[in-house]
Amino acid sequence: MSISLLLLPLAVASVAAVHAATDRDAEGRTICQVRTRMRDETLLAAALRDTGAVVGVEGQTLAATWAGVRADFQRGADDIWTAHLTGDVDDARAAAIVQAVDAAYGRQVQRAVLDRLRAQAPAAGLRLESEQVTEDDSVRLVFAVEGRTA
Amino acid sequence: MSGRPRVEVTVHPDGSVTAQTHDVLGERCLDYVAVLEDLLAARAVDSAYTADLTRTEVPVRQENRDVDWA
Repeated sequence: MSISLLLLPLAVASVAAVHAATDRDAEGRTICQVRTRMRDETLLAAALRDTGAVVGVEGQTLAATWAGVRADFQRGADDIWTAHLTGDVDDARAAAIVQAVDAAYGRQVQRAVLDRLRAQAPAAGLRLESEQVTEDDSVRLVFAVEGRTA
Repeated sequence: MSGRPRVEVTVHPDGSVTAQTHDVLGERCLDYVAVLEDLLAARAVDSAYTADLTRTEVPVRQENRDVDWA
């Protein structure tokens, strides 16, 4: 080995763990706001569907509804999506919902990265030698270097 | 001992990616930071060098000798 790297896809923001904050709207309903690490709208919508949500777009808002809970996702100036949850929800449930969405989002990112890697590696001089799914559902690919790649 | 250069990439279910180069000697391994960032549409947030950084290629020398077969 000569170098080892940890990389974060651009679809994933390097932010701290999911954090929920509770407030009340003008009508006294509980609103939980949860900041996420998600950046890619298409992958977010797919992840929401993976969790069983009905997903719709309302202007700049990505709206997801589950039984008794609605989440409005809005993109901030830093391109990171924040969820505003209303309905039958408190801090703990809001965090649990967003963590489930986050896990589904991670799997969507994994799939997208693998598709991109398989498609573009040959052009970078990398030939796929082996591919293996590990116990934790990670996917390990080994490429032979066929030419100068940089 | 030097093997064929390889790149091992592990894509985790949380979306993060770890990668290692094998048998890429010297500073050529640094080329792969940019290659992988581009290939994965990602940015490197951590890195560590390993033993091959200081290894150099040993040229293979071939000797021809006359051998008397009894």
